Amino acid sequence: MSLFWIVIRQLAEIEAMATSKKVITREEWEKKLNDVKIRKEDMNKLVMNFLVTEGYVEAAEKFRMESGTEPDIDLATITDRMAVKKAVQCGNVEDAIEKVNDLNPEILDTNPQLFFHLQQQRLIELIRNGKVEEALEFAQEELAPRGEENQTFLEELERTVALLAFEDVSNCPVGDLLDISQRLKTASEVNAAILTSQSHEKDPKLPSLLKMLIWAQNQLDEKAAYPRINNLSTAALEDPAV
Amino acid sequence: MPTTTTTAATTGSNILHRLTSADRDVKLKALRELKNQIIGNRTKKLSFLKLGAVPTVASILSDAVSTDAVVDNNNDNINKNIIVQSAAVLGSFACGFEAGVKAVLDAGAFPKLSRLLSYHDEKVVDAGARSLKMIYQSKLAPKYDFLLEKNMEFLLSLLNNENENVSGLGASIISHSCKTSVEQKLLSDAGVLRKLTSLLGGSLSQRDASLESLATIFKSNPEVVVKFVGNESERALSCIIDLVKDRFARTRLLASLCLIIVRNTSPCYLQDLAIKTKLINTLLELLGDPGQVGDEASFAFSSLIAQKEDMQKLAFEVNAIDKLYNHLKGGSLHPLRFEGILLALADMCSKLECCRSRFLSLQVLNLVIDALAHDSSDVRIAACICLRSVSRSIKNLSAGSFMNETVVIPLVRLLDDSSTSVQVSALGAISNIVVDFTTRRSLFIRCGGVKQLVQLSKSMDSTIRSNALWALRNLMFLAENKCKEGIFLELTASLLASLICDPEPIVQEQALALVRNLVDGCISSVEYMFAEDGIIFDAVGRQLRSASKAEIGIQGMYVLSNVATGKESHKEAVMNQLLPTENRTQPYLINFLQSNDSRLRTATVWAVVNLTCSSSPGASVRVVKLRDAGIVSQIKNMVNDPCLDVKLRVRTALGQLMTFEDSST
Repeated sequence: MSLFWIVIRQLAEIEAMATSKKVITREEWEKKLNDVKIRKEDMNKLVMNFLVTEGYVEAAEKFRMESGTEPDIDLATITDRMAVKKAVQCGNVEDAIEKVNDLNPEILDTNPQLFFHLQQQRLIELIRNGKVEEALEFAQEELAPRGEENQTFLEELERTVALLAFEDVSNCPVGDLLDISQRLKTASEVNAAILTSQSHEKDPKLPSLLKMLIWAQNQLDEKAAYPRINNLSTAALEDPAV
Repeated sequence: MPTTTTTAATTGSNILHRLTSADRDVKLKALRELKNQIIGNRTKKLSFLKLGAVPTVASILSDAVSTDAVVDNNNDNINKNIIVQSAAVLGSFACGFEAGVKAVLDAGAFPKLSRLLSYHDEKVVDAGARSLKMIYQSKLAPKYDFLLEKNMEFLLSLLNNENENVSGLGASIISHSCKTSVEQKLLSDAGVLRKLTSLLGGSLSQRDASLESLATIFKSNPEVVVKFVGNESERALSCIIDLVKDRFARTRLLASLCLIIVRNTSPCYLQDLAIKTKLINTLLELLGDPGQVGDEASFAFSSLIAQKEDMQKLAFEVNAIDKLYNHLKGGSLHPLRFEGILLALADMCSKLECCRSRFLSLQVLNLVIDALAHDSSDVRIAACICLRSVSRSIKNLSAGSFMNETVVIPLVRLLDDSSTSVQVSALGAISNIVVDFTTRRSLFIRCGGVKQLVQLSKSMDSTIRSNALWALRNLMFLAENKCKEGIFLELTASLLASLICDPEPIVQEQALALVRNLVDGCISSVEYMFAEDGIIFDAVGRQLRSASKAEIGIQGMYVLSNVATGKESHKEAVMNQLLPTENRTQPYLINFLQSNDSRLRTATVWAVVNLTCSSSPGASVRVVKLRDAGIVSQIKNMVNDPCLDVKLRVRTALGQLMTFEDSST
């Protein structure tokens, strides 16, 4: 948060100084940046937050030992969460459901949308594996009652069952359901629900900070020419085009 | 699909069979399987419930708890696991499923689950607390008696527990069981508010549970609210205000609800414009939530703005009508959400004309009319309430915006509804829309509306009778003669007379008010009073003599006032009614003039004014009679009546009386 406000304050200063577009040289810019103080502990916490949220449990453990940064969550729970996520990503949805229920039975009992999406993913996997009979039976027995309860679910169910109607599923209008991205989508939904149940944010903070950086730069572009960061992975300052 | 059902049933009884196995591994595996089958799946919960799974699992839990106590073997992992899994199964049966809660309670599982709270094993405690929490979400859960000292101690120990499920359970118990102001005060005095405030800083589930309990303890209890907001600390309240901006939708809703309850309980708090706007905006935004939060948001919004013109104004300025409409427009809404949005619109349009104009210009009306035919009776009721609220607009009533077939036909149809509450709310809407448009009343009559209303005025249910009469009364208001005649023929003098003498005072009042409108206007309508040997007129007189409440006197006196505007014979009939010659006791006229209710005094003086109008030949004789009965001197005493209305009529009456005084002396 603090980094964001520093940028904002600088923006305000610049706005006060210049009415027309001002040019700031790399030298001036770097001097300004040097005046900004970032605490090391804050950086470490951001890194830890990223590792924990993304589920890099071993890296988090190592990082904890090396940097002395305490994670805000029991690292053991990350392992469980990652196992669930991985199971969905591999298409073992039933296994994932069992694991979530072991972790906390309230999650799926109080989150009908997530429960439906997991069941839908199960159906998709059955269809993918060519188990037509079983897929039909599963759709009728497990999914149809959910569709009766909720209009949106019914539409999604119809879309999914439509997969059975096509000979060449890879080339049909609902083929995207068989895509790996569908698994990833479901996996990230489960991941988010587990994190929420653990009172943890479902997104890491680092990407938000970078988003704010880009937004602030865009705002600044209207007022000044300055060394901009265009490549986020190198974070290199690029000379202003004058 | 016979095959499917067979498979499902076979799997079901197979699991049940294995639950009773002597082999503990088999039993444990079956428990887990059952758990994974029913979690999130209402249909499965129901089918296993029917197979009798709940008592079986309850007895497994019971046995495992006893084994644990006897063996006292902390290393018996299988047994621990059986306890955890069976508690989770029972918890899931109780989750969002009332029949399940009932079965779990009937199977005697409640005390067993409670025992799990004192275990050392964290997993066992978690499972027990979660399941109990589920049970306490239901109305069926046993009431917790806070008045018992040991119960209060136990509750505090739950709230103080480090385990979030256990402290959350404590909060759920409060939300479920705290009902009376005595209990609220007891909890507040025991330091529960402070404890709950500290939970606001805890985990997501602790925060939500605590917000709910705080709201329960505050509700309609200004003393507790003052203690919390005034003495305890400003900080606690600002902590709740912060949670209105929380990341989680449910938390935002619960925090808003808590603040709304504080506001509605003690109107002196949270009057800051920023907070008011924040609450309105938050709730309008939460309407967009696809889940339960979105369903509940509109009800919370209603409780924030209901009866509060300033709040309705603020909401109007942030386009609340448009936003509510946008959610309606989407179509295929869950009935609960549909109902909530309609009621929110009703509250928005209950006072302010600007809201009603916006409502009508957006064509929301069409959607509301569709809702009149919705499958759910709650939605139909909400649509009627909404219609009633919008049709308070005099401007649009006069323009005939509501008196057209698209509105009237479905409304009249609802008069036949199987639900009494729907009938009553339809009558409420009709009462408003039939007011004040002389040209279009015939449409209502053509649609069979009058027949229906007359039919309902004979209902066994007094609420329906009085509401039907109310609608007829408004239909009669300033109606042209032909219209009145039509209604009167349908009603008949004898039915009207019997309704005036109805056992229920609210019915009597409406019947008299109807007659008042019937005889209002031209002289020929006064004749209705004397149809069938004057049974209506006699009934009015009877009610006036025994008027059980001021409202009946008021309506009755206006009836007589209106009759007294008629011919000499009409005026004489009123005189005989007011001052019967054979009766020597103090006339009720005096009592009415001395009433505490200024409306009754006004109505009574009106009658005297109409009787003593100097242009009519018999007036001087009537003045003498009135003077002899002590009425004139009573009116003279009223020249300085505190009510302006009364004072004005008294001056008019005295002015007329004086002309006769002068001529007689």
